[in-house]
Amino acid sequence: MNSSSTHFVTSRRIGIYEPLHQISTWGESFKTNGCPNTSASTIAELEAKLDNQSEDTSHGTPGPSEKYDQEATKPVDKVQRRLAQNREAARKSRLRKKAYVQELESSRVKLMQLEQELERARQQGLYLGAGLDAGHLGFSGAVNSGIAAFEMEYGHWVEEQSSQICELRTALHAHISDVELRILVETAMNHYFNLFRMKATAAKADVFYMMSGMWKTSAERFFLWIGGFRPSELLKVLVPQLDPLTDQQILDVCNLRQSCQQAEDALTQGMEKLQQILAEAVAAGQLGEGSYIPQLATALEKLEAVVSFVNQADHLRQETLQQMVRILTIRQAARGLLALGEYFQRLRALSSLWATRPREPA
Amino acid sequence: MHQALPYRTWVPTTGGGSSAGLSSATIEPSDGPMNPGVGMKDVTCVTKMVSENAVIVFGRRGCCMCHVVMRLLLGLGVNPTVFEVDEEDEAAVVDELSRVIAGEDAKEGRPQFPAVFMGGQLFGGLERVMATHISGELVPILKKAGALWL
Repeated sequence: MNSSSTHFVTSRRIGIYEPLHQISTWGESFKTNGCPNTSASTIAELEAKLDNQSEDTSHGTPGPSEKYDQEATKPVDKVQRRLAQNREAARKSRLRKKAYVQELESSRVKLMQLEQELERARQQGLYLGAGLDAGHLGFSGAVNSGIAAFEMEYGHWVEEQSSQICELRTALHAHISDVELRILVETAMNHYFNLFRMKATAAKADVFYMMSGMWKTSAERFFLWIGGFRPSELLKVLVPQLDPLTDQQILDVCNLRQSCQQAEDALTQGMEKLQQILAEAVAAGQLGEGSYIPQLATALEKLEAVVSFVNQADHLRQETLQQMVRILTIRQAARGLLALGEYFQRLRALSSLWATRPREPA
Repeated sequence: MHQALPYRTWVPTTGGGSSAGLSSATIEPSDGPMNPGVGMKDVTCVTKMVSENAVIVFGRRGCCMCHVVMRLLLGLGVNPTVFEVDEEDEAAVVDELSRVIAGEDAKEGRPQFPAVFMGGQLFGGLERVMATHISGELVPILKKAGALWL
């Protein structure tokens, strides 16, 4: 963005402002001081442009001192008109300057945000280049755009999550109607489903990144299971928060816990088998000969299956959440989603506390 | 754990390439890896197997998702038959299965592996098995297909 184009942009914007009848100090000092400096001559140029745009036929770009002399000799109404035009030009100039500064400010903020994200990504050992020099943690070679996009989207997801949690909390305390509460519950559910969709796309970009939960905080990663939280753990966290439950609900929850555990176990066993197959593919043939391209080509093919596992695990999480909402009343579901949201917030906070805890110097 | 009686027990063949029968892949719960079935060049037995087994899973050889389906069904007390498809037979098997499906419900289209058939009909893939299990619908369906006896 160069300054000339900005000026054009801002002068176009001036058209939407209503004329203000104010004289600010900038305008005053410009008229009375009469000492030319760079900004004054620029203003004078712009004034000339504005003059040409208006219906006024007066021409020329008088310097401040010259204008001062001329004012004394002109008739009064012309002087008045000239003063008014000065005020107008100065005002427009100020507005342009203000707009330009605002643009600069917001660009600066954006730049800082981007720098922060980049720094954070570097610290987390974000995607290493696809080349062979991928051994250096923290060295970001070619950044995977699919993963970079996911990280940024996830940042927004977390923000949105926080505001939804606040809304749920407020709504539950305010005792709003079930109809309104249902909307909040569905919004919260869809928010989770959006995350699963995002993850599916990102898994195609880099499945190892997803499997390692690289976008999560350290405490969340401690509990990682196939790229996310364990559905059975989720139920263990939620159920105590939902008392009182009817007898039928208790039975349904019990069945859900069992089904969930069984599905989880099946996926875990499948994952273990995949690891075994992958290890065998990598170790195939003679180890120690120094050449292994064909083995890695075979191993690479097997990695497609890892993407399926990430997707199936997320599918299980989605199904478990949906079944929970079916079992519960709408108010219980709202409380459950609030509890779940806060649980993850606490985990994230735990990560921060751990990272910033006072330590003895090495 | 309750053992289900399959509709028909297949007689295992000793050698490969026999067109008369197929090595049964009946899994014992204590088994670790699946017993490899004999690759079938004559895929018309596929139709027969679908109609004669309460539960049968078609999957690529060595497929881990197939393993997941198997472990889930086994965990429920089901004794599913497994048909491991070799790469070279895959197209033929898919064709045959499509013919089986087209008979009942044309909108199912070509099946994807792993494909679970229950009571002679296509049930679905891993996702459907998971979803119905979580919602509690799977066990009644299995009972109705005769794969599970109380």
